[in-house]
Amino acid sequence: MKYDVVIIGGGMTGLISSIYLSSKGLKTAVVSKGDPVCSISSGCIDVAGDFQGIPDDHPYTMAGREKVRSALMYFKEIMKDAGLPYWGEVFENRSIYTPIAKKRETCLVPFSMKNADGAKGKSLHIISFQGMKDFFPGYFKEDTSDFNCSLFDAGTLTTVGIATKFDDPAFREQFILWLKECRIQEEFIGIPAVLGTKNPQKLIDQIELVTGCKVFEIPTLPPSMPGLRLFRKLKSYSSLQGVDFFWGHGISEITEEENLVTSLIIDQPGRPTIIEGRSFILTTGSFVSGGLFAEKESIRETVFNLPVSIPPGKPRLNDSFFDTEQPLGRAGIRVSSHYQPVDSPWKNIFVAGSILENSQIMKYHCGHGLAIVTGLDAAENCEEYLK
Amino acid sequence: MIQYNCDPPPKVAEGYLERREQEGYMKLRIKMIKTDVIIIGGGATGTGVARDLALRGIDHCLLEKKDFAAGATGACHGLLHSGGRYAVNDPEAARECISENQILRKIGKKCVEFTEGLFVRLPGDTLEYRDDFLESCHRTGISTEIFSASKALGLVPNLNPALEEAVKVPDCSIDPFRLCMLNAESSSLRGGKILTHHKVIEVIKERGNCVGVKAQEQFSGEIIEIRGKVIINASGAWGSIVAKMSGSDVPMNLSKGSLIIANHRLTSMVINRLRPASNGDIIVPNETVSLAGTTSIHVNDPENLSISPEEIGLITSEASQMVPEFDSVRLIRSYTGVRPLLKGDSHSDDDRAISRGFRIIDHKNGMFSIMGGKLTTYRLMAEKMTDRIMEHFGINVPCTTAEKPLEGQNQLSGYPVSNRIEKLDDIICECELVTRKDVEKVIDSVGTKYIGDIQHRTRLGMGPCQGGFCTYRALGMMQEKGKVTSGESIRVLREFLDRRYRGIRPVLWGDQMREEQLVEGIYLGILGLADK
Repeated sequence: MKYDVVIIGGGMTGLISSIYLSSKGLKTAVVSKGDPVCSISSGCIDVAGDFQGIPDDHPYTMAGREKVRSALMYFKEIMKDAGLPYWGEVFENRSIYTPIAKKRETCLVPFSMKNADGAKGKSLHIISFQGMKDFFPGYFKEDTSDFNCSLFDAGTLTTVGIATKFDDPAFREQFILWLKECRIQEEFIGIPAVLGTKNPQKLIDQIELVTGCKVFEIPTLPPSMPGLRLFRKLKSYSSLQGVDFFWGHGISEITEEENLVTSLIIDQPGRPTIIEGRSFILTTGSFVSGGLFAEKESIRETVFNLPVSIPPGKPRLNDSFFDTEQPLGRAGIRVSSHYQPVDSPWKNIFVAGSILENSQIMKYHCGHGLAIVTGLDAAENCEEYLK
Repeated sequence: MIQYNCDPPPKVAEGYLERREQEGYMKLRIKMIKTDVIIIGGGATGTGVARDLALRGIDHCLLEKKDFAAGATGACHGLLHSGGRYAVNDPEAARECISENQILRKIGKKCVEFTEGLFVRLPGDTLEYRDDFLESCHRTGISTEIFSASKALGLVPNLNPALEEAVKVPDCSIDPFRLCMLNAESSSLRGGKILTHHKVIEVIKERGNCVGVKAQEQFSGEIIEIRGKVIINASGAWGSIVAKMSGSDVPMNLSKGSLIIANHRLTSMVINRLRPASNGDIIVPNETVSLAGTTSIHVNDPENLSISPEEIGLITSEASQMVPEFDSVRLIRSYTGVRPLLKGDSHSDDDRAISRGFRIIDHKNGMFSIMGGKLTTYRLMAEKMTDRIMEHFGINVPCTTAEKPLEGQNQLSGYPVSNRIEKLDDIICECELVTRKDVEKVIDSVGTKYIGDIQHRTRLGMGPCQGGFCTYRALGMMQEKGKVTSGESIRVLREFLDRRYRGIRPVLWGDQMREEQLVEGIYLGILGLADK
């Protein structure tokens, strides 16, 4: 199999890249060892607010403000087209509730969370589920003076279990009937994000109709439905665009000719698959997703063994868990303005997403935003290269 | 086996006292308890004394500033020594160990796992020491059996294949926390008052004699007064601090020992190195994980301990000589504790050479200090201490702690760990298979405001993710039960994460780093805890 572009890593970055490149008529493949971190995320697109304090060495600065705007607009269009529309303005933040009732700033949110922004200081009714193990309405008690709570017995306890039940029309009907009986007086209703494994827009409309309240979902601990919905939509959208997926296995070998990588061998038991490519985009993420691996003394990039930059002369980790300026958060691959790794022997490799040096996602709250912006930008650079 | 002895003292919740005042609580006079014996310290010694006093019918009250086993008891290997480790250098200690080993195996079946142990001889370890070891074991009554390398590898396949031979001894794995809890249970059943999270802040003296203590409840700040005829200072590394409150002095040497926890049960038997005692020469299987250690570094303060990368490096490299996988395995935590050793028992510079024997000091002012010793001989120490108290009171009731099984064991799943799988439903902690019912039971019975209390009693949060997921859940359940407000639970959550990080940080690399970034994403990202 020969592709114009082979993307390594099936997370936000890789999927956005794949959608763009295949839309340009390039034959594109995505190779992923497993489901990405975005599938367990809150599903919200943190961009970084008003961009105050983004330093010169951050990947956003390299992309430029205009690229950030256009990439996020591109994302919104894709999601609208895919049937999971996102709300919010590119350089404005809105707030959502976290599972411990903290208000948290983010930029783009799925439809199901858009009402959370207006709920501050208003009367709130939390609807949860009996015995649900990843959501506790008690956290909302102190935040809101005018607070009430009702529990529905869904017959199951996990986030995915309850969400799967909501996919069943009979269950939804039963829930709506129960909801009518609750006679909710508050202005807002908050529900943990379990209203179905697919886009819950219709169900939310229905809830709003029978209660007269404004409804929003609250993201839960992983596995979190909004993240799963986002990932599944993007993956199926990409697949519909004609992108090929090689899912579930790592890369055992790469082959090269002169200064080009020519193919990857996927580590499928019994039948290793060779995937040839004219170009490659590395979007394997940082430590949690396995793109980077921390040895005791050093840090390794796991596919091409590219050189990893880390701030010199400092311990890798600071003293406090709550310190979001961990030196390790800066570790990553240093790239040229064309997203090509510096000090690499190969010309046809591009790198994007949280594996980039100085991305500091925790500090700048920019996880998905960074993925979208650099994913698209690197894809455009790769397209340019292939011309 | 996760350690909390590096914690800062819990702070009184903001606004708590004001709220209590409004509620009218503070109008009550200071609570007063009258008893015969006051025990300070909820480690193995303190709870052991409480059990012994209870069985002999003496009224008592135990005060512990944190939870059970918060000091050296909980910060050790969790090894019930056969005595083999001491046989060559300290035959008396070895004799005590094997005798207590046999007793505890009998009375504490559900907190002692009869794993047996191997002393492995690696290339370079001398035959002279082996012969000396075998002879000393024989002399002190410790049964031994010599295994060839292949036989040893058959029993513990993860052993270094280069080993020369191994000697089997009756070492066991013991759960120090459960041990303390069960001892306390015997006391409670007979009317003993066990007050955890109560810190002694003052020893009350009248005409030069100790007549009681004042203790502060650590969550609410409430102060209670306890009056008693005798005070037993069983506070381990904090011994000289407590003794000073009564105007006495206990000369101590504090020796810090650090350990690491691997996320697998790499060995089903205790593994020792067949050579003179040294750093990092013991590996103990504990439920689903393995512990390795330890070091011996002199310190001055029993709190605010830190673990250096050199210590971790030393322990991993020594442990991996016996079980090579220790070098590459995922380490889930490090912890450190302080051995309360008595000063003046040795002139050597090496704290390890100081006898682990114990001593009872009569301060002649109504306070006794019981100091030194080791986990394996805690029952014997308690017996001697209680004998002394009985003598002081002029009562003659013999000790029965060696014959009566520890009470409350029917509540425990015991060994092997797979027993716990029998009642799987509504799992709150997936790593350690802790159910909602288990957690609710602890919240109801202990009335806890501390996440540590739940962890110790259920093993919640002690597995590979180190409470990354379940702590949020347990706190939510404490809220549901009305034990904490949401504001308090967020504060407790932050304290927990901070403590957890301090334990994990020294061993953060490899797969544990992946897990850590996930936990960071959950708490700082999804929950938004980084935002002030």
